[in-house]
Amino acid sequence: MMKRTLWDGSLAVFLITFGSVCAQIPNAQTIHETGQQYKEGNPLTGASDNLAIGSQAMFEANLKAKKNIVDMKPNTFLSLWNNPGFAIQFEKYLSAPAETSEDAKLYRQRMDKIMELLAPGNATKQNQDEAFNLLPLASEFESDANNCTTIHDAVYAAANARLQIQKLTEVDRALETQLSASQYNQLHEAQSLTLPSIAPGKNDVADNNANENELRTAKMDPSKSRVAVLKQTIQRNQAQIASAELQAKFALQSLILQLFVQRRYQHVIIIDRFYRALFDDGDQSLEQFAQMADKMGYNKAAGQVKLIADANPKGATAAGSGNNGPHGGVGASAGTGKDGAGASVGNDYYNNNNGMDASAISGSGLHMGVENLSVESAENAFVTGMKGASRTFKSLSQLDAFANEVIRDVNEGVKVYRFLLEKSEIESAASQLASVFTKGEYLPSVRLLSQDEKRKTLAYAQLCNRLVNAANSGNIDALSEVVSQMKQMNPSFDDAEILAKLQGVKTASSLLVAQAKVAASKGDLQVVQTQITRAAALWPNNPEVTNFSSEMSKLGNVARPEVQALADFDQFEGQHNYRQIFDDKEKYIAAIAMDDSTRKTMRQEKLRKVLARMQEIETSIMRSQEIARRGDDAGAWEGLEMTFSQYPDDQKLSQLRADLTTQAPDFVHDVRQAKSYEERKEYGSALAWYLRSQSRYPMSDLSKQGIQRLVRMIMPDAS
Amino acid sequence: MSRQKKSQGLPLWLIVLLVLLAAGGGFYSLHQNGGDASLRTTEELDPSIYYENANSLRGNTYKIDVEIDSALGNSPTKGRLFSVILKKASKNGAPVVLPVLVPLELGNLTIQKGQHYLMKVKVVENGLLKVEEARKP
Repeated sequence: MMKRTLWDGSLAVFLITFGSVCAQIPNAQTIHETGQQYKEGNPLTGASDNLAIGSQAMFEANLKAKKNIVDMKPNTFLSLWNNPGFAIQFEKYLSAPAETSEDAKLYRQRMDKIMELLAPGNATKQNQDEAFNLLPLASEFESDANNCTTIHDAVYAAANARLQIQKLTEVDRALETQLSASQYNQLHEAQSLTLPSIAPGKNDVADNNANENELRTAKMDPSKSRVAVLKQTIQRNQAQIASAELQAKFALQSLILQLFVQRRYQHVIIIDRFYRALFDDGDQSLEQFAQMADKMGYNKAAGQVKLIADANPKGATAAGSGNNGPHGGVGASAGTGKDGAGASVGNDYYNNNNGMDASAISGSGLHMGVENLSVESAENAFVTGMKGASRTFKSLSQLDAFANEVIRDVNEGVKVYRFLLEKSEIESAASQLASVFTKGEYLPSVRLLSQDEKRKTLAYAQLCNRLVNAANSGNIDALSEVVSQMKQMNPSFDDAEILAKLQGVKTASSLLVAQAKVAASKGDLQVVQTQITRAAALWPNNPEVTNFSSEMSKLGNVARPEVQALADFDQFEGQHNYRQIFDDKEKYIAAIAMDDSTRKTMRQEKLRKVLARMQEIETSIMRSQEIARRGDDAGAWEGLEMTFSQYPDDQKLSQLRADLTTQAPDFVHDVRQAKSYEERKEYGSALAWYLRSQSRYPMSDLSKQGIQRLVRMIMPDAS
Repeated sequence: MSRQKKSQGLPLWLIVLLVLLAAGGGFYSLHQNGGDASLRTTEELDPSIYYENANSLRGNTYKIDVEIDSALGNSPTKGRLFSVILKKASKNGAPVVLPVLVPLELGNLTIQKGQHYLMKVKVVENGLLKVEEARKP
């Protein structure tokens, strides 16, 4: 009951004190939180502003981190995975089973048969027809994607055009015969024309001449008209012939280039051979395609649609030769730059007729993604693509050679992949597979790789995918984990740059935390928020950020007196600084009364002990001071000494005891000597000293107690 | 004639009496001096040395001239423990109070507060003064 009254009273004191403090400093907590800015007169930043600043900071930090990490391309294979389009396609391929089904086998057999029938030396009319008839059959299979049907239709249309041209040519030939006859008839009529030669009178000459002309015209007009009509018909037919051939060639050439871009190299070879069979005039150039491309307009205002994504690898090939002539020569170069590919060809053919065409090809793999897409821009892109293709490939021979070269290269790449896989060189193997996939995704050698053969690469690719995703997410810890796994799976994985970047980001995050701490010490909470948000954005799991947050929570509690009081109480109690607690006992009593934590009971017990102890000390001090005032310094000292032996860590008690020691030095000396000997178990000497101290101060309790204690030690059975 | 007779010396009975007195006194004197002889040759205890380092005096025997102060304890196995005050005060005038153990062998001694004793004491273990001999002066 007494205790309850004490607590209640203390609580009331605290509430009154706290209320008065709050009344004196209105909005004190806000001032504390805004800190130095408020004092410096800066406008207070609203919560929404802080939020915006934090978001901006996070955005910037994220971008910076992402840029740092995503920009790195330490490995060829990893760089591929920075292209999400490629990553998805490649992962799909790696997960797909090998095309070893009966259907796939039959498809490959039919494609091989078509190519064999159309191979140079075999391409008879009968074989061409057989190959043509096999095209729809080959197109039945899903992996063909109806490309053979497209070829079939295009060849059919071109053949029809050829028939039409032949018919028109035959018509023209007949018309020319008719024209010759008409012209002869016209000449004959003109030569056999009879007109009145003499005018009736001198004044009738003019009229006579006019009549003759009219008569001549009337007689010659039919034959002239016939000749003119025949000429016009022949010219029109010739124009149709030219147009039909041009259109047929253009259609086929476009399809060839399209299939080439699609990396359907077998189809390129097939249609190329059909083309040569259809247009056997020896013209293998892509001139029609180039002319058509040049004639197409370009809308500058619309800009150009941009295709973004680059599958990499970037291919390049070049060829060149001279023809032993004095001035004949050829040069070719091809290369891939950082952002694209370029090719150039030079020859001396037209000047000297003594060289040969060079070829220079440079590819840049698969492009995916669209930017600035509109009808006009798409047309522009189409036109640009056509022009680019027409400038890259000058003849069908180039395309044919390149397609064959790619097929050979891919087949060899697959063999190299298997070898590297066998040697557990995952990075190189995966890069090789990505390369052959990019170049010849639809070639049989690539499609025939089994799932088991692709499994390691798949696992590595998935790790790469995770690496890129982790890099994009800015999660440093996740990134570190993936890098570690990659290094474990592939010891040759070059993680130096990634680790350096990671360390850089971590260091940057720590520096931001340090800046936040400096700002916190100045009370600049706005900077604190900005810096800590940046630090967290760079490295979300940064332990320093976590610690800082904890520290900030503690700082926030400073604004709550009762929380601070509890913290102080715990601290002082832990330090055995009971005097400090006693001096501010009202505050701690109130704070503990308001404590709603689970430690309340424990704190109450501790506080009770502290107060009891201090009460005893204070009582002893007061008593000693009173005794000293009466001139009994020895008695005063003795009173404190007895309390001091119980509470040697109280500063006030210790100080007063020291002061009184100088007031009764002999007595104090005797007692201390007695204690010293007693501790050394020299009880006789100790007893002598106690007797001596008692003789100095007969009222001494210490001496009396000491004597009694020592007598019991010397004679345990004493009465 | 009568004057000659008075000068003949002391009567016999007086001489015998004197002889007896001299013999008795001599015996008494001899008896008394025999008990005091050991104390006379024993060194007096220097209390300042005793206080400072009683261990260094261990095994030594001293004589002390004391007045019984108080009885501190009584053990049936070890004897009686008294505090005694040296008759001779210290140099600064402060009384010198010492603890002495009167063993069972001297149990016949009647010791009370205020009695004056000459004691022969031996410094035993723990610096305690054990009484070997005591008598009133």
